[in-house]
Amino acid sequence: MNLEDMMELPGALAAFTFSDKGDLQSHVLREGTEMTPQVLDLLARSCVANMAIAGMEARGWEAVTGQGGFQPLQGFSVVGLEWSVVVNGNRGVVVRNRDADYEAAFNAVQAA
Amino acid sequence: MRIVKQLMVIPGVIAAGEYAYRGDRFSYEGALTDEFARMASILCRANTLSVNMQAEILDSFSESCGCRPVQGWIVRGAQVSVCSVGNYFALIENRDELLNDVMTIMRAKVGDVEDDLLVNLYARLGGDTKEALY
Repeated sequence: MNLEDMMELPGALAAFTFSDKGDLQSHVLREGTEMTPQVLDLLARSCVANMAIAGMEARGWEAVTGQGGFQPLQGFSVVGLEWSVVVNGNRGVVVRNRDADYEAAFNAVQAA
Repeated sequence: MRIVKQLMVIPGVIAAGEYAYRGDRFSYEGALTDEFARMASILCRANTLSVNMQAEILDSFSESCGCRPVQGWIVRGAQVSVCSVGNYFALIENRDELLNDVMTIMRAKVGDVEDDLLVNLYARLGGDTKEALY
């Protein structure tokens, strides 16, 4: 799903792609949103970090508990006060909380 | 524990629990052992602390970032997911609409997380825990 399609998600404020290191590569912002490219750039870096941490935790949890079902990870989301960011791989989408459809957002970032 | 009990009656919720922001206690229901619930509580508290730290940095770059205080986070696994809102967590199966339902219920029942979350999360650091980190 491309960025324009991701912007069709309920409450989408921004969609973006980033490198493996977290450099913002491309983005689309909803007109009128207070989100800025600078915030998206920082957000992309935190997304890479959070996915790496979640991957480590999932691997460790499965090894220690014997409980499977986490790997491979399908994404990570941070739920802020007004919006949530949903990421997987090298793409992410920011959605307004009151309109958020988390499952649709995770499915959207899933599609290569 | 009322919220935990409400979550546990939802089909597809594997386990749910509550932990203290200070990190000194936890409670849970569902398919976890005491030790795994303790591990899950530590993991959830650490992730909550981490994403709140990130939100503070984001907030310093924007007048009204809209991200702070962080209300929760989700790890989406292949067959199971972890939802965390405030100091509650739920381990759920990836069933259609369950994630949205659980998040809606957790946000509604836990209510908006206030800034005092950080005071409690940082309490063990000592010093002025009300002071922003940036």
